Amino acid sequence: MTERDLEGAGLEALFAQARSAPPELPAGLASRMLADAARMQADRARGGVARGWRAQLAEAIGGWFGVGGLATACAAGLWMGLAPPDGLDPVSAFQTQASYDLFEVSDISLALAEDN
Amino acid sequence: MALPARQDEAPADPSGGADTEAALLAAFAAGDRHAAAELTRRLGGKTFGLALRLLGNPAEAEDVAQDAMLRLWRVAPNWRAGEARVSTWLYRVTVNLATDRRRRARGGTTPLEAIDEPEDGAPGAAQRMIAAERGEALQAALMQLPERQRQAVVLRHIEELGNPEIAEVMEISTEAVESLTARGKRALTAILAGRRAELGYDDD
Repeated sequence: MTERDLEGAGLEALFAQARSAPPELPAGLASRMLADAARMQADRARGGVARGWRAQLAEAIGGWFGVGGLATACAAGLWMGLAPPDGLDPVSAFQTQASYDLFEVSDISLALAEDN
Repeated sequence: MALPARQDEAPADPSGGADTEAALLAAFAAGDRHAAAELTRRLGGKTFGLALRLLGNPAEAEDVAQDAMLRLWRVAPNWRAGEARVSTWLYRVTVNLATDRRRRARGGTTPLEAIDEPEDGAPGAAQRMIAAERGEALQAALMQLPERQRQAVVLRHIEELGNPEIAEVMEISTEAVESLTARGKRALTAILAGRRAELGYDDD
C-alpha cells in the first residue's frame, strides 16, 4: 500500500465517522421551524399569504381608529364638561327650562280650575 | 443519512422518501399540521447538518436551516410534484443561503463549536477524545477548502448524494462535480497530512 493510499484511507475514515454521527436537530430550532410552519398555515387559512398582509394592515388601522375614536370621544366629553362652549350653560339652561315648565303647569291647572 | 432506520420502518413507502415528502408538502399546503411536524423531522435535521458542515458555526447554521425551511413552507402551495425532489430543492436552497452568508461575512473567523466535548471519566474517554479531535480536524480542514470544493465534498462524502443530484443542487455539470470533489479531497488530504500523528493515525 502506498503512502497516498494510506492517506486516502484516513480521509475516508474521517468521512465515515462524520456520517455515523450526524448532528441532531436542536430542539429550539425544531420548534422555531414548526412555529414558522404554523404561522404560514394560519396566514393561508385567513385567505392566502398574498392578501394576508393587507388584511393584517386593515385590521391594524381599524384597531387604531377604534382606539382613537374612543379616546377622542372621551377627550371631547371631558373638555365640554370643563369648558362648555358659548350658548351652552348646562346648569342655567336647565333651570330656566324647569321654571318655565312650572309656569306652564300652573297655567294649565289655572285653566282647568277656571273651566270647573 | 440522518434517518435511515425510520424510513426503513415505513412499509407504505418502499420507494424511499421522495414521494412521501412531496405528498407531505401537499398535505401541509392543505393545512395539515401533522405534515409540518413530519417534514421537520425528516428534513429539518438534514438541513441543519448540511448548513453546519458548510458554515462550521452552529448559530449561523441554525439561522440558515430555519430560513431554508421557511422557504419550503412558502413554496408548498405552488409545489409541482415530479419536478424536483423536495430534499434536492432544500439542499440547493441551503447551499445558496450558506454561500450568501459566507460571502457577507468574508474575512471573519469561523468558530468550531460543532463538535461535542467528550465527557470526562466515561469509559473509552481517550478513544472518544481522539474521535472528537478527528471530527474537529475534518471540519477545520473543510473550512480551509474553497467554497465550491467544500460544498461538493460535503454533499458527496458526508450527505452521500450521487453526482447527478449534486450537479442539480449546485447547478453545474456532473463533470464539474467530479472535478470539484477530486480537487477537494486532494486538498483535504494535504491539509490533514500535517496532523496525522496528533490524530492518532500512527497507532492504527
